[in-house]
Amino acid sequence: MAHPSQLGFQDAASPVMEELLHFHDHALMIVFLISTLVLYIIVAMVTAKVTNKYIIDSQEIEIVWTVLPAVILTLIALPSLRILYLMDEINDPHLTVKAMGHQWYWSYEYTDYENLGFDSYMIPTQDLSPGQFRLLETDHRMVVPMESPIRVLVSAEDVLHSWAVPALGVKMDGVPGRLNQTAFIASRPGVFYGQCSEICGANHSFMPIVVEAVPLEHFENWSSLMLEDA
Amino acid sequence: MLNVVLKQLKNHPALIPLFVFIGGGATMSALYLGRLALKNPECAWDRKNNPEPWNKLGPNDQYKMFTVNMDYSKLKKDRPDF
Repeated sequence: MAHPSQLGFQDAASPVMEELLHFHDHALMIVFLISTLVLYIIVAMVTAKVTNKYIIDSQEIEIVWTVLPAVILTLIALPSLRILYLMDEINDPHLTVKAMGHQWYWSYEYTDYENLGFDSYMIPTQDLSPGQFRLLETDHRMVVPMESPIRVLVSAEDVLHSWAVPALGVKMDGVPGRLNQTAFIASRPGVFYGQCSEICGANHSFMPIVVEAVPLEHFENWSSLMLEDA
Repeated sequence: MLNVVLKQLKNHPALIPLFVFIGGGATMSALYLGRLALKNPECAWDRKNNPEPWNKLGPNDQYKMFTVNMDYSKLKKDRPDF
C-alpha cells in the first residue's frame, strides 16, 4: 500500500507492474540525463565571459543533434510499446472474477464453479481496529490464489467507476452496460489496496478495493466458507 | 517544390537525417493507422458484406499486431462447441 510522503510507485506485486517499474526507471534516467545536460549548458552560457559572434552554421552539430534525440526516442519507444502489448495479453487465466461497481461499493462474483457473490464496503473510520488503514479497508476482501493468472471482468451497475490496484499494475474502467477485461498474476502473497478511480458521486473516495493473494488451499477454504455463509 | 528542397539539401546535408526520421515516423504511423482502419475487428465499415466483424474472431486468433509472451494459436480449446 502507499506510505506517507511516498514519491515513487508501490512495490510491484505482479510481473506487469515490475516491467512498468523498470521502464519508468529507464525513462526517468534518460529524463534526468537530458535535464542535467541542459541545465549545465544554460549555466555555461550565462556565466561565459567570451562569446563568438561569427558562427553562422555547422552541418556536423546539426546532424548530431538530429540523430541523437531520434535514437534516444527510439530507445524509449521500443520498451514502451512492448509493455503496452504485454499489458493487453490475457494468458489463459485460471480464474475469472467479476468486479461490479456500484454507488458506492464494489461487488465481486466468482461464478466459475459455484455462485459466490458478495459486496465489499469500506470500513468506516470509527469502526477500524488498531493497525487497519483508514479509508482503505473493506469488510470483504477479494481473495485470489497467488501465482495464478486471474481474469477480472469489470463493469458497473449505475455510473462510471474504475477498478484500480496500483501494486498489481491494474486499472480498468467500469462502464455500465459494458464488460471490460483485464488480468493480473499476483507474484507474492499479500494484501493489495486500491481505490475507485473514476468520479462516481459523493462517496467516490470511499469505495476502496482490497485484493488478498493467498496460496491455493487457503483460497479453496475461503471460498467454501464464503459459500456456506451466503 | 521538390527541386527547391533538393537544392537546399545539397547545401545543407544535415537536413537528410531530419527527412529520414520524420519521413520514417510519418510512414510508420500512416501504415499502422491503415492497418487499424482495415483489419480492426471492432468496427464495421461495410454493412452489406461484413456487417459484424467481431463475430468472426476464433478463440485462437490474434488480432493485436504484436504479442510478447503469448502464442494464441497454441491455446487449448477447453469449451464446448455451439
